[in-house]
Amino acid sequence: MESAAIIDPPMITPVSSPQQQVASGSEPTAAAPERPPAFEVERLSIFYGEKKAIENVTLTIPSKMITAIIGPSGCGKSTLLRSLNRMHELVPQTRIEGKVVFAGEDIYAPHIDPVVVRRRIGMVFQKSNPFPTMSIAENVLVGLKLNGVRDRAFLRERLEQSLRMAALWDEVKNDLHKPGISLSGGQQQRLCIARAIAVEPEVLLMDEPASALDPIATAKIEELIHELSSNYTVVIVTHNMQQAGRCSDYTAFLYLGRLIEFASTTKIFTNPSERQTEDYITGRFG
Amino acid sequence: MVTPKHILGTFDEALASLRNNVLMMAGLTERSLDRAMKGLFQRDDDLCANAIADDEEIDQLEKQIDKDGVDVLMRFQPLASDLRRVVSAMKLSSNLERMADQATNIARRARKLNQHPPLPELELIAPMHAHAMSMFKDSIDAYVREDVQLGRAVVPRDEKLDELNRVASRRLIQRMAEDPDQLRGYLNLMFIARHLERVGDHATNIAEDAVYAAAAEDIRHQPFVASA
Repeated sequence: MESAAIIDPPMITPVSSPQQQVASGSEPTAAAPERPPAFEVERLSIFYGEKKAIENVTLTIPSKMITAIIGPSGCGKSTLLRSLNRMHELVPQTRIEGKVVFAGEDIYAPHIDPVVVRRRIGMVFQKSNPFPTMSIAENVLVGLKLNGVRDRAFLRERLEQSLRMAALWDEVKNDLHKPGISLSGGQQQRLCIARAIAVEPEVLLMDEPASALDPIATAKIEELIHELSSNYTVVIVTHNMQQAGRCSDYTAFLYLGRLIEFASTTKIFTNPSERQTEDYITGRFG
Repeated sequence: MVTPKHILGTFDEALASLRNNVLMMAGLTERSLDRAMKGLFQRDDDLCANAIADDEEIDQLEKQIDKDGVDVLMRFQPLASDLRRVVSAMKLSSNLERMADQATNIARRARKLNQHPPLPELELIAPMHAHAMSMFKDSIDAYVREDVQLGRAVVPRDEKLDELNRVASRRLIQRMAEDPDQLRGYLNLMFIARHLERVGDHATNIAEDAVYAAAAEDIRHQPFVASA
């Protein structure tokens, strides 16, 4: 993990080619205690007004692995995910207690700029949301342009690299000027992933990224998540137990805002330690 | 603690049906082994024929359990204890089917032995039969009650059955040399001893699967540790 302070925006440098990245990336393993943590969440509580959405959660999310957050509706999955890049603060009257340590710094420290946090920790949402007035290319490059990048050759290179990494290049390379919203739902979601990775974040947060997609588009997204995990830390919220089982290395189970269990995905889905986890994943939750 | 029902009632029904078929298969296998051994000890060819006939129904149940197991995996994508129960049920059925095959083999050997005067060396088989059936019953009990301790306790008992088989084999080989006229009879008894030894192996497998189903613990192929 990079140790650069969050207050210093990372230099925008050309990423290596996808081929190089795949070659240099290590295969994710089920147990990787030697992996440095990407996030250290310490006694985190989040309030929306008077309502406590997250209660005293402590967990360590390993870097360059896929961590799934599961739990019933309203348990705080999305809130926890969004708290990892301060996106939940967009909801009025939000308050937090505790810490989220990323790259050695508490992202909630007063001197930390949330915009920089979000640049280094990207997010993909449940519903694909390409900018409707922008072309495919503009959608991918919007983040870079907002950051003042004007070098056309660099932008062109980054456009192709991002779309290739999002497994979309071959499908759109002749239609880059067409509106982003002209793509299918699955393609739009991959476009949003390309947009997120174009600014070279270190982490990708995904909030049910495939819940509105058909099985083929879902499989493409899941394959993409797997590929991305060799270069990125991925945290994914999903309602789909099978998807969590297929995609992730670690799984966290949340219930009523509390972290009930966090363990390797194999452990959670074959022999969870907590009865509440067992009841939820086996469909016995009343 | 009572396990709560699934939200999806059809899932509970499918799991219950799978389990009931396994239990029925275990009951039929026990009956088949019992008939084969009684056919041997009581020199009753009808019981031997019944044991052989039982095999067909047990084979069909094995196919049914495999089909139901695949169906549950496909329809409900079970996880955690549910997944372990489905996998264990399918593995149990395979072991039970092979046990029933051993019962058939014993019954066939018994019918051959029944055509000749009784051999006193049959007494070597009786303790093996008792031990193998005790292991079998306890392994099934461990599965039914999800009793991890009982399942664990079954596994080392296979050593004794192996030793009884070695003793019987040595004695029968010795008798073959002393009394070559009864060679076929002694050979049949040796095979029966071997079949009972295999019954013990399958009971061990079932006990191991019972432990896995109950506690997600794989106790197979662990190095033997002599008790102090």
